Amino acid sequence: MNSLALNQFLALLYREVLENRNLFIGAPAVLAVLLFVFTAWIVSMAPEQELATAIEYLSVIFDGLSPVDMASIFMIPAIPFMMMLYFCGLIYLLNALYQDRKDMSVFFWQSMPVSNAKTVLSKVVTIGLVAPVFYVAILFVVYLIAVLWLTLLGFSYGVQVAGLGYMFLAAVASLALVYLSAFVTSLWLLPSVGWLLLFSAFAKRTPILWAAGVFILIGFLEDFIFGSQYLANWVESRSNPNQYFIYEFSDVTDRLLSYDMLFGVLVGSILLIGAIFMRRFID
Amino acid sequence: MKNIVEARNLEKHYGDFKALDGVDLSIPPGSISGLIGPNGAGKTTTLKALIGLCDVEGELTVAGKDPRDARHKLMEEVCFIADVGILPKWLRGNQLIDYVEAVHPRFDRARAEKFLSTTEIPPRKRIKELSKGMVTQLHLAIVMAIDVQLLVLDEPTLGLDIIYRKEFYDRLLNDFYDGNRTIIISTHQVEEIETLLSHLIFINKGKIVLDAQMAELETLYTEVIVEPEHLAAADALNPIYIRDLLGKKAYTYEAVPRAQLEPFGETGTPSVADLFVAKMKEGKHE
Repeated sequence: MNSLALNQFLALLYREVLENRNLFIGAPAVLAVLLFVFTAWIVSMAPEQELATAIEYLSVIFDGLSPVDMASIFMIPAIPFMMMLYFCGLIYLLNALYQDRKDMSVFFWQSMPVSNAKTVLSKVVTIGLVAPVFYVAILFVVYLIAVLWLTLLGFSYGVQVAGLGYMFLAAVASLALVYLSAFVTSLWLLPSVGWLLLFSAFAKRTPILWAAGVFILIGFLEDFIFGSQYLANWVESRSNPNQYFIYEFSDVTDRLLSYDMLFGVLVGSILLIGAIFMRRFID
Repeated sequence: MKNIVEARNLEKHYGDFKALDGVDLSIPPGSISGLIGPNGAGKTTTLKALIGLCDVEGELTVAGKDPRDARHKLMEEVCFIADVGILPKWLRGNQLIDYVEAVHPRFDRARAEKFLSTTEIPPRKRIKELSKGMVTQLHLAIVMAIDVQLLVLDEPTLGLDIIYRKEFYDRLLNDFYDGNRTIIISTHQVEEIETLLSHLIFINKGKIVLDAQMAELETLYTEVIVEPEHLAAADALNPIYIRDLLGKKAYTYEAVPRAQLEPFGETGTPSVADLFVAKMKEGKHE
């Protein structure tokens, strides 16, 4: 990639972040604040004895575990953030090639020497690699505060929860798992990413109705004509929420190199080519 | 020299509606062309086709490229301003400049900033907080700083007050046009651009109804304020348009020698606005 192509691509990613800062930064920041307020409220309400028991219980759980082992436990508070990332990702993809057509700014974007392929690819990279960075960054602050607070609380009850350094390393390891989960999930769901971008580029209004409606229609036609439900079953086989989280580093390679993953990437790539084609003209 | 725009038999259908119906265009480099037509005539469709935003049938070459296949390559040579609403409202002025600097190899940031320093646009304000006039100035600052062969303007001053409109065209002529670059302007406000144009194109119902150099108009078209005693003779020469003017009749003729018309009354070249009305109502008399 020459320097112009690289600069163009970085500028496209910068554009996505600026345009969607509410989804990528605002939403997880608000969730973090709510999480702290909720935790502080629970702690303030809990009887002191129960709090001491909970701290001691935590120290027992963490006892003897390495930071990498602790990471999967540390991922639990990240689950609402990841669910929010996936939900915001859905909203983002539906609007990604629709919003600028709606507000007519597409005429400006298309007046620049940037190819449609690069534009569509920037949306995929944004959801798979860029957006998770902001969620992980906000989670890092959440974990830092939580680790310090747990350590201080432990001291106040005369209990060492797991050691500040160990807990910090566990937090970093769990954030790496969060990031990998988001990346692997974006590839696992590439057919959905492609489908949403296709209808985001196609729909004159309400892309969500088009995306859902056409999918239901195809499923219905398959059932009606062939009496089979391959499409519905295939989608269902990729919809188990456990598939969207990675708890062990060793799982990453297996997930990335599976036949199911590669087939999904192929289907997603074809749909993305369709989205690029749809983006060509504004009629 | 090769024309910068060469179009043959362009057609565009929206269902049964023919937006473009066999449009031919030849625009030479260095010209300032006005594309003028009523609402729904096909102006915007034509301009969108020129920059590859609209799929049309027919042969089309702009700056040596087919816009349908190579829009992003073409946009290194061509700039486009539609009406004032198209800059992304959530961006700040300085972010817009950052973006264009990163994606456009022919953008000169210093030139854009110099232009902006002559305006009252606060660079850190979001575009949605700027007035329509400021948004146009900002867009113009970007375009002025890009070294392109062709500038396509689609109703660029729509909704602006007269001060901004005048400044827009002054800047265009003084800071952008250098005699080599080509400008195509589509507008309703014919009177404002009349003096800028070197080339005039009228479009109506998807067809080009006039395509001439401004210098040719004087020999091609004559308007005569016909004295009452010559009305019958004037009618016999098949005027393309007749209108009432201060109790008299003004006849517009196409391709009739002026010397032949002089005996009927006061002759002159019709203004672009009058010619536009004449061509749109050709064959109909007020």
